[in-house]
Amino acid sequence: MSMEDYDYLFKIVLIGNAGVGKTCLVRRFTQGLFPPGQGATIGVDFMIKTVEIKGEKVKLQIWDTAGQERFRSITQSYYRSANALILTYDITCEDSFRCLPEWLREIEQYANNQVVTILVGNKIDLAEKREVLRQRAEDFAEAQSMLYLETSAKESDNVEKLFLDLACELIREAKQNKLDNSDTAPMPGEGKTISYLSCCNVN
Amino acid sequence: MAAEDLPSEFDVIILGTGLCESVVAAACSRVGQRVLHLDRQSYYASNWASFTFNGLLTWIQEQQAESQPDEVQDWSGQVEEGEDLIYLSQSDSSSISNLQVFCYTSEEDEEDDTPNTTEEEKGGGASEATEAADSNKEDEEETEKQEAEEQVAQDEGAEPEADQPCPSADPNQSEPVKKKKISLAQLVKEGRRFNIDLVSKLMYSRGSLVDLLIKSNVSRYAEFKNVSRILTYRQGKVEQVPCSRADVFASRQLSVIEKRKLMRFLTSCVEETEDQQAYNGRPYLEFLSDQQLGENLQHFLLYSIAMATEDTPTEVGLASTRHFLRCLGRYGNTPFLFPVYGLGEIPQCFCRMCAVFGGIYCLRHSVRCLLVDKDTNRCKAVIDSRGQRISCNHFVVEEGYVDAERKQTATPTRCVSRAVLITDGSVLPSDSDQQVSMVTIPPVEAELPSVRMVELCSSTMTCMPGTYLVHLTCQSVGSAYEDLSPLVTRMFHTTESSDQEERPSVLWCLYFNMVDGSGLEVEGHDLPSNMYLCSGPDGALGHDHTIKQAELIFQKILPEEDFCPPAPNPEDIIYDGENGNGNSAEGEELKDDELKDDEEPKEQEEELTEQEKEIKEQEEEIKEQEEEKEEEQGLESEKGQGLETEE
Repeated sequence: MSMEDYDYLFKIVLIGNAGVGKTCLVRRFTQGLFPPGQGATIGVDFMIKTVEIKGEKVKLQIWDTAGQERFRSITQSYYRSANALILTYDITCEDSFRCLPEWLREIEQYANNQVVTILVGNKIDLAEKREVLRQRAEDFAEAQSMLYLETSAKESDNVEKLFLDLACELIREAKQNKLDNSDTAPMPGEGKTISYLSCCNVN
Repeated sequence: MAAEDLPSEFDVIILGTGLCESVVAAACSRVGQRVLHLDRQSYYASNWASFTFNGLLTWIQEQQAESQPDEVQDWSGQVEEGEDLIYLSQSDSSSISNLQVFCYTSEEDEEDDTPNTTEEEKGGGASEATEAADSNKEDEEETEKQEAEEQVAQDEGAEPEADQPCPSADPNQSEPVKKKKISLAQLVKEGRRFNIDLVSKLMYSRGSLVDLLIKSNVSRYAEFKNVSRILTYRQGKVEQVPCSRADVFASRQLSVIEKRKLMRFLTSCVEETEDQQAYNGRPYLEFLSDQQLGENLQHFLLYSIAMATEDTPTEVGLASTRHFLRCLGRYGNTPFLFPVYGLGEIPQCFCRMCAVFGGIYCLRHSVRCLLVDKDTNRCKAVIDSRGQRISCNHFVVEEGYVDAERKQTATPTRCVSRAVLITDGSVLPSDSDQQVSMVTIPPVEAELPSVRMVELCSSTMTCMPGTYLVHLTCQSVGSAYEDLSPLVTRMFHTTESSDQEERPSVLWCLYFNMVDGSGLEVEGHDLPSNMYLCSGPDGALGHDHTIKQAELIFQKILPEEDFCPPAPNPEDIIYDGENGNGNSAEGEELKDDELKDDEEPKEQEEELTEQEKEIKEQEEEIKEQEEEKEEEQGLESEKGQGLETEE
């Protein structure tokens, strides 16, 4: 098989209430667009962007909820084999912040133990409508040992930083894991996609 | 998160998220239909679901709870002129029966002072067991003896003191002779590492489900593992069945002559011959025994490869043997794949596809009644559990939502007997402790059915490290306990088995019966003409019945449309300014793949020749050992026809 055109491939999954700007964050990062055209998400499973970090090519596969969060009906399989989760809320919407513990429960239930989680407060361009104080969110994130970042998909504030920080963290973890490879416990993602199984014909 | 209203108009409303409904949902949404997909449960996949250990305990409780009599609400206010009202059934317990739980391990960890954080769950587990015994007494007319036996099991499980049924090692001993049993508390604590399927099936690597997953690109949402071994249980012993060419040659159980006979037989049965046709209608067993294969091979071929019984007709036995052989070597050493995280992932993957194409999902939400046009007998709209009227052109529903009086079902209803065991070791330990095994077990006693066992290891992400998840399935003769517990007692160590240390111990197990969905037609019921029924899981090993049914329903709804055409690859449709090229690697991979399926390109042939070289070497080795050299040529000329093996 030919060498792939990247050094790392990570699956990043977005979650959070409907309307907090998840799709906007992805679109802003992958395409530089805001607002994303309505209906444009139909048929789009995930977005790809390859970034370069310290000379290494990192391919980010960014998955959106496909609207299943609207009625709290995200499939468990959505969380499987994610390397990182971006848990998003809207700083102008108290309710979206209050729902975070519920999302965390779902993460704990279905995502793998090693998943990197980052809490994102979006829509800081609407500072005058802020309902959730930065300190409160920082405290919450710290208590749950999550990273925290505030962004604006509209103004493109911190969006690039969000994904690049995540990529750095994921590379760091990947290298760490390689070091302490002594752990023989099976890891998620040990299975193979069908295409991989057939092309490599491995066991 | 709260009470957002659903849109009031859809093309297709689908109720239930089992495999059939989910495939229909994905197929309709994919070609542009507006789909609303609902399920009254809080989880996906209906009777196809998989649960964490704690989730399963909750499910058991729900099954045992008395179903609440439904408050009949009057929706006649919503009925417009010329419309009839059909109420749907609001409880779903009828498809599961004879549920029994046994715990054979200590409730708490002995040595560790486990903090009482899990107290609540433990209590739950224990009361579960008692409840199970109670309900059993109520539901079943059983012999006193059996009840007594069960009571013993209950007591063993329920009382912390009476834990270790076998003499255990002194905790202070420096070298642990026998590994410590995992306690119920630990199972609960590690509960999320389990994904326990209600249904136990495998995916034939050339079966209709795998074909559909590949064709539709839904395969990208899941990962799979090869089933690594085919085993059989014979004369009290578990043995590996050599089924691929590589296996046959590597096998230590078969004599050289047997190896040859087996290869020759497998090669010969790929093509249908007149000789075979002569046996049509007569048992496959008879055909096999006339091939002078010997008892060993006959057993393997009948039970493990054809997965037939003694009275299976020859043409059916041969057809399944051919299917088995066709599937062999596509992905691995056996014909089967298993999805990582369990089978319950598969319906969800189709739901994801539906959602990606705009389908709307709502769990914990049902349909109360249908509004039917009196003249056309078509369902015009439904009233959901919130009382909202939602119109639709087609209504697809899992049969469990429809009252029995309206369904035309084959009588008597057939059932599948199921057992789920958490054990502490493999039925056939090997160099690797991460094997996925399919085991075929002929009837262990007269009157009992033959049983299919799937043993899953922790790397399938369906059980915690140090344990195995064992699924038993058979067509019901009696209750699941009656059908399956004799086998459990023989093959495993429980409090009921005579003491045999080498066998794996059962830590916890669950028995239940589920209605076999294979006897239901999608149409022809006392229901509106644009309403289609999806059956629940059937008892077969593969998924053909369900996939065929889903395709049939789709064709009735949209006769002109393509069934699950490939979804575009995200890497092909995303334009990334900085990175225009080099992005399509994975896309090509998939396409190559499809080519491979259809056209069998050269690559594979080359691979085969390499394999052949290897095989030749192996054969030569064998030849050296051989005494009857005359037959060499015969073997040579046959190779490479029937079996494609990997490596």
